[in-house]
Amino acid sequence: MALARLVLVTGKGGTGKSAVAAALALALARRRPTVLVDLDQRMWAARMLGLESSNNPRDNLRDNWRDNSNDAVPHGNGAAAIAKPDAIANLETISLSAGTELEAFIERIVPIKAIARRMLQSRTFGYVSAALPGLEAFLMLERLRIIAGRAALEDRYAVVDAPATGSAIELLSVPGALKQIAPLGTLNRLAANVESFLADASRFAVILTLTPQELALREALEASDVLRGRLSVSVAAAALNCVPHPLFNKSELDELDAPGAPPEFARLAQWRDGAGRFAARARREASRAGLRVVELPMLFSPAMGRAELEELSRAFDAQLFPPKFGKSAKSGKSGKSGKSATASTSAGSAGPASAAKSTGAARSARSTRSARSETSE
Amino acid sequence: MTAADPSHGLLAGRLLVCLGPGGVGKTTVSAALALGAAMAGRRVDVMTVDPAPRLLDALGLDPVDAAEAREVPLDGLADVADVRDLAGLFNSVDSSTVQDASYVDEASYVDDASNAVELAAAGRARADGGRGGTAGGRRRPARRAGRLRALRLDPKRTFDAIVARHAPSPAAADAIMQNRIYRNLSQALAGVGDYMAMERLLELSEEPATDLVVLDTPPAREALDFLDAPRRLLDLLNSRAVTLLGGGMRRGFSVVDLAARAVLSAFDRLTGLHLLGDVQAFVRSFDGMYAGFADRAARAQRLLIAGDTAVVVVTTAEPERTAQAHEFRAALSAAGIEPRAVIVNRTLPAIASAAQIARAAVSPALRRKLMRAAEDFASLHQREAAAIASLRAGLPAGLKLLAVPDLGREPAELADLARLGRSLAIL
Repeated sequence: MALARLVLVTGKGGTGKSAVAAALALALARRRPTVLVDLDQRMWAARMLGLESSNNPRDNLRDNWRDNSNDAVPHGNGAAAIAKPDAIANLETISLSAGTELEAFIERIVPIKAIARRMLQSRTFGYVSAALPGLEAFLMLERLRIIAGRAALEDRYAVVDAPATGSAIELLSVPGALKQIAPLGTLNRLAANVESFLADASRFAVILTLTPQELALREALEASDVLRGRLSVSVAAAALNCVPHPLFNKSELDELDAPGAPPEFARLAQWRDGAGRFAARARREASRAGLRVVELPMLFSPAMGRAELEELSRAFDAQLFPPKFGKSAKSGKSGKSGKSATASTSAGSAGPASAAKSTGAARSARSTRSARSETSE
Repeated sequence: MTAADPSHGLLAGRLLVCLGPGGVGKTTVSAALALGAAMAGRRVDVMTVDPAPRLLDALGLDPVDAAEAREVPLDGLADVADVRDLAGLFNSVDSSTVQDASYVDEASYVDDASNAVELAAAGRARADGGRGGTAGGRRRPARRAGRLRALRLDPKRTFDAIVARHAPSPAAADAIMQNRIYRNLSQALAGVGDYMAMERLLELSEEPATDLVVLDTPPAREALDFLDAPRRLLDLLNSRAVTLLGGGMRRGFSVVDLAARAVLSAFDRLTGLHLLGDVQAFVRSFDGMYAGFADRAARAQRLLIAGDTAVVVVTTAEPERTAQAHEFRAALSAAGIEPRAVIVNRTLPAIASAAQIARAAVSPALRRKLMRAAEDFASLHQREAAAIASLRAGLPAGLKLLAVPDLGREPAELADLARLGRSLAIL
């Protein structure tokens, strides 16, 4: 299955959305020029990659944005190109915000710049956005549609670091709501355009992040239902993040759990490996719901930076783009696990098999990390 | 009751507002704090405005119809073996911090662990034998045991209720509810949920049978999104906006107003749908209700800055969240609201030390693995410590930083929430 041109990453808060988006962008950037799109101006994904170091990102972004928006192409990629890193030449990061999209809209409509400026500074501006609810969000989706269109033309990928599930679903519901407010006419056509973009699996798809935890799993499954059902949006994968590669085996756990054994060691083992056990269930239930599961290892490292994201991106790569048969690759095994999950045949057999395989991926990922940290120290 | 009590004062007021970015467990922390206050003898309502029924799950309530406050049975907590430890949270109610005389007279509170145990174990409506307090050893009449009610905000229902209450006639109410803008506005649109939370909050706080309202808030990008909601809705409804949208410029219009009109009419032309006509009709239909709205909004605002309101910022120790928490704190402070505490949720729990592992009576292979697990733990601990250090660096010296250690699982039952409350610790 080919990946959509634009992939929006969302999930329950705390499931590592930004890290997953950054890792996915890194993985894709190894194959094609890729743009990492931020929707809240905080630029966490970019910052984790070391691509953004401003102390006051908002002001800078706004200025950058303004400068670019003065260009002749008013509706093209007017968004700011924040940084072009040397190390990741294929990866570009841009930041959108509903506010700036609305400003651009107003600057387009009010041709006299001085008036537009003054208006944006006035409270009147607040009335406009309040009076036309959903407009900001709609303009942002329209921008994503344009970014995806350009990505298709230029054979690029775009990855969007979106807000948490609830807000993301609200955002994606806007075109439908606008169509209801405006059942006929231009706005209706624009909304229908955006809606068909969102429903086109070759242009747009969502990746849902989750961690091996009950609530994260439930939220991912519910979101998947809403996205696929009510919104007709394609869900490319569920990214099961923070899966620890098990350290202790069954008999060791039994030994630690034995009556009379000091409980703190059992607690330590549970802390270290516990999520892994739930991961099997998460994988099984997600597969049963027809989701392709991509598994990302828990990284026990003192910081979450570029090196860690590189590691996650390799896990992504191996599972999103499994090597063809006969071709051997380092993490080839886990690549197949991603594929078998897509098929979502009998969940019972797919679950444990892919569990064993992706464990392999986690192990190989871990070994690369330790190798690297040894050389760096 | 010690001065170092971490939750001192947090649960003693009339209102506790939990703000914070999404995904930090705000709902869980709110529920744990509410439960702690209820077990300490206060009559508590906890309201979540998160559309996902997580809090209700944890509280064992029906997630489908949860708009009405429902009482949470507290008796089961007698089964929590180490309920004595919960006293750390119960002790929060201190009469010296509460000005409200009626509260001091009526509400019960638990002075020490034994009372906590007694209360929880008895699980009954009354307990006797208050100590301390303002009355110089006067033995109080029978104390009231706490109760906890939980509910989930339903913005649409609340908005309908407000319209019905303020509209001059049923026909006028009907006209508003049929308006296209209203129908969309009252469902998913920005600010309305926040405003409705505020409305419900006002209702709950005015209920005489409630001592404390604990308010979970919608996940927000900005701290003030929520606190500012009434003003934003009022801005839309005020007469200046009507003038602007209606096109009937009165005196004092400016270039800016003209430009705003240009935008609006351009948009209307673009849609060709008299959308603005609808917005105008919507705003106009609220015309006679504006005063009622403004009054409620002003009361809600006053409630939020009242002396017996505590605002806490909830976060986790992930760097992006601590940065957000810092932004929240700064924005609140700039708005004249000083948060009472910053609560860092899901911190790493205490774990076996290397020295303990070295002494462990296990095979060398297993010992190596335990050491390895402890190293992994140390790595994450380092990550967490760095995040907390940078959080603390950005906070004023007097602001309390509290930690809620991770349970290691999702809180699935009331006892888990009680454990979370118990584990609240000063960082």
